[in-house]
Amino acid sequence: MIFDSYEAYKQAGFKPKACILGSGPAGTTIARKLGAAGIPVVVLEAGSREFSDESQDFYRGKTVGDFYFDLDITRLRFMGGSSNHWAGWCRVLDKQDFEPKAWAPDTGWPISRADIEPYLPEVHDILELPDFRPDVPVSDDIRWVQLIKSPAVRFGEKFADELDQSKNIAVVLNTYATELAGDGKRVTGAKLWSNGQDAGTFSADYFVTCTGGLENSRLLLWSNERSNGGVVPNAAALGRYWMEHPTFEGGNAILANYSEFEVDGSNEAFFSPTLAAMERLQIMNFGVRLIESPYPNVKKLIADLACTAPNMAEWMSSQLDQKLRCAAQLYVAWEQAPLASNQIELSKADVDHAGVPRIELHWKKSPLERRTLLEGLRLFGTTMAQKNLGRVRIDDWISNGGDYPTNEETAGHHHMGGTRMGADVLKSVVDANCKVHGMDNLYVGGSSVFCTSGQCNPTTTITALACRLGEHLGKVIAV
Amino acid sequence: MSRIIRKMSRRAIVQSLLALPALSLFRSQQPVADPDEIVEINGWILRRSDLA
Repeated sequence: MIFDSYEAYKQAGFKPKACILGSGPAGTTIARKLGAAGIPVVVLEAGSREFSDESQDFYRGKTVGDFYFDLDITRLRFMGGSSNHWAGWCRVLDKQDFEPKAWAPDTGWPISRADIEPYLPEVHDILELPDFRPDVPVSDDIRWVQLIKSPAVRFGEKFADELDQSKNIAVVLNTYATELAGDGKRVTGAKLWSNGQDAGTFSADYFVTCTGGLENSRLLLWSNERSNGGVVPNAAALGRYWMEHPTFEGGNAILANYSEFEVDGSNEAFFSPTLAAMERLQIMNFGVRLIESPYPNVKKLIADLACTAPNMAEWMSSQLDQKLRCAAQLYVAWEQAPLASNQIELSKADVDHAGVPRIELHWKKSPLERRTLLEGLRLFGTTMAQKNLGRVRIDDWISNGGDYPTNEETAGHHHMGGTRMGADVLKSVVDANCKVHGMDNLYVGGSSVFCTSGQCNPTTTITALACRLGEHLGKVIAV
Repeated sequence: MSRIIRKMSRRAIVQSLLALPALSLFRSQQPVADPDEIVEINGWILRRSDLA
């Protein structure tokens, strides 16, 4: 069932056991799991079926620290959530991403990759993915990894008919919770806003917030403030340890044989470090994306190499005559070190149309990450040279310690952390089952529960965690 | 320099010239560069042999 307003939903007399806030990949997946288990669930979606400027305006906010995108363009507020502008790139976090790293404080998850692996066949069906091939070691330091460019499932479109026909799932559009109320043990109700006005209060046995990697923190911070700590009783880490995947062009490569790595349909190939290399260099995880270069750039690159290594340049030039696809741009995306100081706060000066304070995001990249960028490119370049697969040139701003450019990709639009998973209530918000510490009926879905970000795109892992949470919640509610 | 040489006997000059090759024995031995060593020059990550 899909309703266009809370008023229409109320008239239907549906009695849900659980309320899910948000209809993006996490919210829709959890709702489908509960619905399949025969548990009545309502999904409140703030937007409608289509994009609108009016809805999107609720996402405006401010960033303090490093340059970042306007917050209202980094996610989408309508049915299907940010899957509506997702590029479809898929990979699950590596096994090593879940492990604590002695050289990076506050790393390590309370679950391992094995805990989400049973859900991967389901994730493959949802995201329409072929099987991943195993990583291929290129050297002791570098793995050739696979990142699948999937058809980019738009959850709102793909599952609209299924949700509409479901007897157990009710989706209420243009409706969301401006705040949750709680007594320090349970969420006792939610204050709703529907079609631009106050829609009264609502209650359910269980609540799951799946409003995204920024909004989950905002909703819980505001709710907690309004309920005097009754929604997130252990709030030391709430909004903190927020992470992105910083992404910059890092240099160029000339390859002996571009087809060596069986590049994908976009002529791209991906590489990551081994755990041993990360440990030895004490750096975070990273991904090097190799993209075929336009021909004029190749000539310029070889001319530059001729100043340093004329014979090598001559050989490269002869290779270029034979294979026009022998050069590549290198983009690097890396894992941010989790820092409590990278945090979401509520604005003291600005509120949205419903009177909820907007987000003030405090975000800075750390020296460890800067070292990860440089040492990561060196590691990749060294492997290429040692194995005679090619030669790498690192961009000057990276070698010389210059400022981050502001005219490049900057980051992946991946919002992670803020309500991270963990056992320590001072450094996490939810437990290993995504239940808010100290609360009996409040859960969090989505990438805001990530403890660390790894280097890969988060949607595949978000969907796997949502399958796991949906199954867990189904068992809890059924008891 | 030429004044010093003028003061030296012819015998001393010949002995000095004969001794010159032996001096190389006392020079520090230059290590032979490993052609596979990885070097970073002007941003390029290269093998030393690339620089030949």
